[in-house]
Amino acid sequence: MIEFRDVHKYYGDYHALRGINATIRAGEFFSLLGPSGCGKTTLLRTIAGFEGISSGAVLIDGRDMEGVPANVRPTNMVFQSYAIFPHLTVEENVGFGLRRDPRSKADKARAVGDALTMVGLAGFGKRAAHALSGGQRQRVALARALILKPKVLLLDEPLSALDKKMRENMQVELIKLQRQVGITFILVTHDQEEALVMSDRVAVMFEGEIAQLADPETLYRRPNSRKVADFIGTMNFMPGRILSEAGGRVEVEAMGFGRVTLDQTQVMGAGTGEVAVGFRPETLTILFDGQAPQDRHSTATVEEVVYYGDMTYYDVRLEGADHTVRLSMRNVFGRPVLDIGTKAQVAWAPGALVLFR
Amino acid sequence: MRAPGLRAYAVIYLVFLYAPIILLPIFAFNDSRVVAFPLQSFTTGWFRQMAADQVLQTAVGNSLIIAFSTATFATILGLFAARASVRYAWPGKVPVMGLIMVPLVLPEMIVAVALLTVLLSMGVSLSIFTIILGHVLICTPFAVTILSSAFQSLDRSLEEAAYDLGETPASTFRLIILPLVMPGVIASFLICFTISIDEFIMSNFLGSGEPILSVYIFGNFRFPARVPSMMALGTVLVAVSITLLIIAEYFRRRGVARSGAKDTGGFL
Repeated sequence: MIEFRDVHKYYGDYHALRGINATIRAGEFFSLLGPSGCGKTTLLRTIAGFEGISSGAVLIDGRDMEGVPANVRPTNMVFQSYAIFPHLTVEENVGFGLRRDPRSKADKARAVGDALTMVGLAGFGKRAAHALSGGQRQRVALARALILKPKVLLLDEPLSALDKKMRENMQVELIKLQRQVGITFILVTHDQEEALVMSDRVAVMFEGEIAQLADPETLYRRPNSRKVADFIGTMNFMPGRILSEAGGRVEVEAMGFGRVTLDQTQVMGAGTGEVAVGFRPETLTILFDGQAPQDRHSTATVEEVVYYGDMTYYDVRLEGADHTVRLSMRNVFGRPVLDIGTKAQVAWAPGALVLFR
Repeated sequence: MRAPGLRAYAVIYLVFLYAPIILLPIFAFNDSRVVAFPLQSFTTGWFRQMAADQVLQTAVGNSLIIAFSTATFATILGLFAARASVRYAWPGKVPVMGLIMVPLVLPEMIVAVALLTVLLSMGVSLSIFTIILGHVLICTPFAVTILSSAFQSLDRSLEEAAYDLGETPASTFRLIILPLVMPGVIASFLICFTISIDEFIMSNFLGSGEPILSVYIFGNFRFPARVPSMMALGTVLVAVSITLLIIAEYFRRRGVARSGAKDTGGFL
């Protein structure tokens, strides 16, 4: 559908895109995720045609887009600022792209009405665009881009200007909308949670390169580097030492965990220096009174408690460890929140560990 | 906060600024050749004398042609320069934009004489066209300043959005950019028009003797008998200026309201 072939982009001496290779499938909700300045917006703009590339190729449906200007590419964009034309009405904004459409006036008006209904703004057509709220502007921008039935909808941080609650609502609405229209959505975001919630697949970018391209669960469970692991959610690290490596099994001695045998799929990177074992906060579980110890468990001391209502985060020190790690527990009615200084049994499964080398 | 000193200062300031202008209509309707108090009886004679003045009519006509042409050219040039400087990066932008703005601070007398010398050595004969040339030179920096601020407040993604929705660069300019900078265009036109109408130095140096309003007024003050009818003319000019200002403000406010921006103050 969309293919990047060794795409490079220079701004003078600045190397903004450093050899991007990726394929985005038709009908997929794809996200470009990374910190600001990683090149994610630049990459999105090379698809739209707002940004030229220095070398390589961008293909849409197998066709090289080199020299194809933005106004004839089969893509439409929802801008970060929404870019609603302030001097036009909602209707005129949504119908703007139909100006060159040969259909009759009545047909176009119906298309505009349908697009507005689709984004939940039926009856708003006659309003002045500047009189809308942030969320409504965003819906107008969506309707305006989707009315042209593009092959690809490009979304440049479309939710970053909305407040938390509105953002969460719009995330769900966007997913529904994408399923409904069935076209490829490419979202740029710096919010890892948003990328995980919305996407079929995510490309994590750092400094002009794609660090990892995977589905949200793989990104979360099996990040391919410490950097990706750090960027997505919270990941604890413990220093370790490889004891033996044979037949796809790696035996590691890790601080606080003792000897663990890991599968080859849990081993990330190919370095030969120091190694670290990583794990997510929810993979470490405090065993409360009466719970049977699992196959692997050790003793830990609670050093910090952060209460979030539905969850409690504990910073605990595993026996034999020189630093604390964070673990999260879902709060269950009737179970107490532990105090600082409490000694507890924590259980864990070797399968939840990832080895970074 | 009470500050009687500041209040008095403000009142004195305004009186100093506007009293001479208020005196204009008073003496324009005063039946005396001498511009002094006490006032004599009421008359509209000076206005009749002014209206009957054939040379004045030619001068007004010439000045209107000059001001209209100047405002049009300066605004078009300003539109190009402002767009180029705000939207694009190009080599030599800073010095080039600087050179466009320099006439704002150069002594106009020097510019006028220099321009005159160049035009004469090129063999160009003086006419109202050479006056327009001089006026465009001094009005363009004002047009560039006003239009640059209009372009600066324009979100760049608006034109990208129009382009993305299938419009060409030319139709994007016509449908999106121009309507949104229109208040700036009107403001630029009116300010250039006003500057041109009462501009004296260029009109005096670069003309070939055809009557021009500012030059004509200057010339007439040498004859005491003509002063009261100049007062009448001044009254008309003030009335026209205020009307223009109100029209400009009307368009500016309408522009602000249409684009939904916050009104941050204008002429009125």
